[in-house]
Amino acid sequence: MNTIPITIDDKKIEADPGKSILEVCRENDIEILTMCHLKGILDIGACRLCLVEIEGMNKLLSACTTKVAANMIIRTNTDRIRKYQRITTELFFAERNHVCAVCVANGQCELQDLGYKVGLDHIRYPHLFPQCEVDTSHPWYVLDHNRCIMCSRCVRVCNEVEGAHNWDIKNRGHQVRIISDFDTPWGESVTCTSCGKCLHACPTGAIWPKAIVQGQLQKNPGMICELMEKRKMRL
Amino acid sequence: MKSDTAVPGKELPKTDPRVKLIAAKLKKENYQPDALIEILHTAQNAYGHLPKEVLTYITKALRLPPSRVYSTVTFYHFFSLKSKGEHTCLVCTGTACYVKGAQQILQAIEKETGIAPGKVSADNKLGVQVARCIGACGLAPAVVIDEEVQAKASPEEIIQKLNAKIGKI
Amino acid sequence: MNRQELKTIIQAEKNREFSQTGKQKICVCCGAGCLSSGAEEVMKKLQEEIKARGIEHEVEVIPTGCMGPCNQGPLLKCLPGYNMYQKVDCSNIEKIVQSQLVEKKPLEDLLLFADLREKPFLDAREDPYFKKQLKIALKDCGTLNPERIEDYLAHDGYVALDKALFELSPEEVIAEVKHSRIRGRGGAGYPTGLKWESVYKYVNDQKYVICNGDEGDPGAFMDRSVLEGNPHRVLEGMCIAGYAIGASKGFAYIRGEYPLAIKRFEQAIKQAKKMGLLGSHILGSSFSFDIEVRIGAGAFVCGEETALIASIEGKRGTPKPRPPFPAESGLWGKPTLINNVETFAAIAPIIRNGGEWYSEIGTPKSAGTKVFALAGKINNAGLIEVPMGTTLREIVFDIGGGIQHGEEFKAAQTGGPSGGCIPAAHLDVKMDYESLVSLGSIMGSGGLIIMDKSSDMVDVARFFMEFCMDESCGKCVPCRVGTRMLHDLLQKICDNKATRIDLDRLEELAVYVKEASLCGLGGSAPNPLLSTLRHFREEYESRMLTHDLSE
Repeated sequence: MNTIPITIDDKKIEADPGKSILEVCRENDIEILTMCHLKGILDIGACRLCLVEIEGMNKLLSACTTKVAANMIIRTNTDRIRKYQRITTELFFAERNHVCAVCVANGQCELQDLGYKVGLDHIRYPHLFPQCEVDTSHPWYVLDHNRCIMCSRCVRVCNEVEGAHNWDIKNRGHQVRIISDFDTPWGESVTCTSCGKCLHACPTGAIWPKAIVQGQLQKNPGMICELMEKRKMRL
Repeated sequence: MKSDTAVPGKELPKTDPRVKLIAAKLKKENYQPDALIEILHTAQNAYGHLPKEVLTYITKALRLPPSRVYSTVTFYHFFSLKSKGEHTCLVCTGTACYVKGAQQILQAIEKETGIAPGKVSADNKLGVQVARCIGACGLAPAVVIDEEVQAKASPEEIIQKLNAKIGKI
Repeated sequence: MNRQELKTIIQAEKNREFSQTGKQKICVCCGAGCLSSGAEEVMKKLQEEIKARGIEHEVEVIPTGCMGPCNQGPLLKCLPGYNMYQKVDCSNIEKIVQSQLVEKKPLEDLLLFADLREKPFLDAREDPYFKKQLKIALKDCGTLNPERIEDYLAHDGYVALDKALFELSPEEVIAEVKHSRIRGRGGAGYPTGLKWESVYKYVNDQKYVICNGDEGDPGAFMDRSVLEGNPHRVLEGMCIAGYAIGASKGFAYIRGEYPLAIKRFEQAIKQAKKMGLLGSHILGSSFSFDIEVRIGAGAFVCGEETALIASIEGKRGTPKPRPPFPAESGLWGKPTLINNVETFAAIAPIIRNGGEWYSEIGTPKSAGTKVFALAGKINNAGLIEVPMGTTLREIVFDIGGGIQHGEEFKAAQTGGPSGGCIPAAHLDVKMDYESLVSLGSIMGSGGLIIMDKSSDMVDVARFFMEFCMDESCGKCVPCRVGTRMLHDLLQKICDNKATRIDLDRLEELAVYVKEASLCGLGGSAPNPLLSTLRHFREEYESRMLTHDLSE
């Protein structure tokens, strides 16, 4: 296949056309922070962590949804981008009620990892502390809205991979919440197949299996990608 | 997806003229999922809000996942899951009305009737809503009481009109 | 209907006009403003009165769209003399009919602006209110009956479509639009011709034209007035666009809050179809085009192109990252052209008179005219259309008649929740895209709210931030959480509880939300805040607590 020349952080790279900036960066060991991206499902460019600067563009673009083009000059590590990554992370933590010490995902959490990566030692914005529910109606799983960051990975996995479309999002703005069916308790959903893929897709401790204790959660978000690769091979 | 007929909810009476309206619209739109918003408009106009049985009916007819319908309904301000009250008082809070004192009108209504913006009175007689702009900026502040626009409204006038509507005079 | 039949109808309708028949015409403004102040009753009473005097064959009463000075409604316009009457109610109709129609003597003390001017102008066109204006998009709005396609035909309706279909190739139509230098009237000001060309270039068997009538800016009612007052003009513009880019299907997305606009536009579609001006083989040509109305369901974010497309597809109106742009992959993944109502309304005159004519109006970078919805603390609130480059001072004082109760001008807010405030020091700014951006505001869709000293600028910023916070779709983090944080910080300042540290955070966060948000809503949400900070910083500073202990 013909490759196209691009430059990322002063490094000359031959990239496959049709790939996203994010894919090319990951292939070349250039770190891009992400949260709503999950390999195997469609990208939506919602978390804004993967923003990059592209020469000649006055806007910052999300690396996950922007395809590489010939002679693109991309910067992933400027002061501005690092500053914005930090603010985004702070906003994630301030939006809902994230308490790592009592979280099942402690040590297994992508949000916690992100906090370490951007060097977060305190949060400068007031915590919103919204009143959030914990849905324990499902026989095996729990959905804790306090720990949800609205990345919508569960929604997309349920729709695109499992084909059940149990999950969706209600309301808008800062009032958005994950819902199952008509905002019915998860346990009463008629569309959920209890496949558990959302559990592996969830980056935080918002969806977890009941039968574990704190610190024992084993998540495997990579299984979604593996599954999709296997499906492709069968086709 | 599991069988979509399993969505719970009461069956709608087929003889209800409102159901017939929705059924006709569904047919006209060829049961296309893309027409969801159009059909919700028809249902909202017929019922004044979107009761759960109606949503269930539409969900089945369009063969859509329930959460997809619910998420669309709750995204748009126009659709309401609860009744908006027998009489409605819609206070425009667009910029022109804001500059000309819409807030004072809302406060006066709440003081007089005890109904906060977005709420309905306990007896379902009166609902108070706010609009982001009804496009009558030349007449600010504007209030719409039961479809009738009250131009250059004053708090006193509106209170008087509302009392007349809910029979408090 | 074919071309020849169209020409015959146009001629017949022109013959019915005053100049040919000597018949007087009374236009009753039935725009949203005048309707709310009782235009319907006025019209009924007027017809009764005319009948009672037995002059119904000499006078024609026409309900029309918005005439402009909504604040003075209900309005009457008597042709051919252009005598306009303001604040007409049932009690003074008898007098007007007797004097104006029977004795043919205008009643001076009831004329438009009789209470504002020493001597009102008999011919309203002489009044500075109209003299400073130039109506292109709104030209026939207020003179023709929007419910009759024949009235539109009499005003050179569908002549441009005829010209485009039979005398110009799609490339030539696009060249004409490019030559006119018209820019998108929805807010961002992207050159319309370039947009058309880019959709034209994508090869696809199915393309779409969308008319964006989801006028969500609080304080703006231009699109509403155009759709209600002259729906055929928008329809014709959409048809021409369809021909130019090679689309066979169009959608008009109109706000659900505008039932009359929806009704009129649907009626216009029916009438045009019946006359063969819409549908298959338009005017006997090989071009077929159909339009459907889609009703908006109340979401400001649906004014954003990709969100609007999602909404037409029956989904939540959440924007998608661009690229890909709708020109390449829009509605159902097909190349899609989206233009604002006002843009489409200007297309027919551009094709009819040539792009050159339009490009000579306005300023070098912003050609043509712009419709503004003038509201707030101003005497002549209403709808105006001026050449680009008219100064704010001319709009506020010459056209708007100055501030109410003789107060001092404090600021003008343009562009609604995406725009900013212009202070008195910049009253002489030219109203064009670049000048407004240089002051930290935007042209926006055309809302223009005038404020006097009673407006608290921090609270104005808070008001708009609350709007954006509520209207955010909730998809991306900067907009969903950022607007909420900005709102809370502004509320804290309004409550006199904020410190200097809060102010620094506010500024940093505002720039972040502006640059990091996914779509235009988040990207412009901090504009009112940033512009008030720039021009009215002292109002923020004066509220700071002096002891800084919060860090």
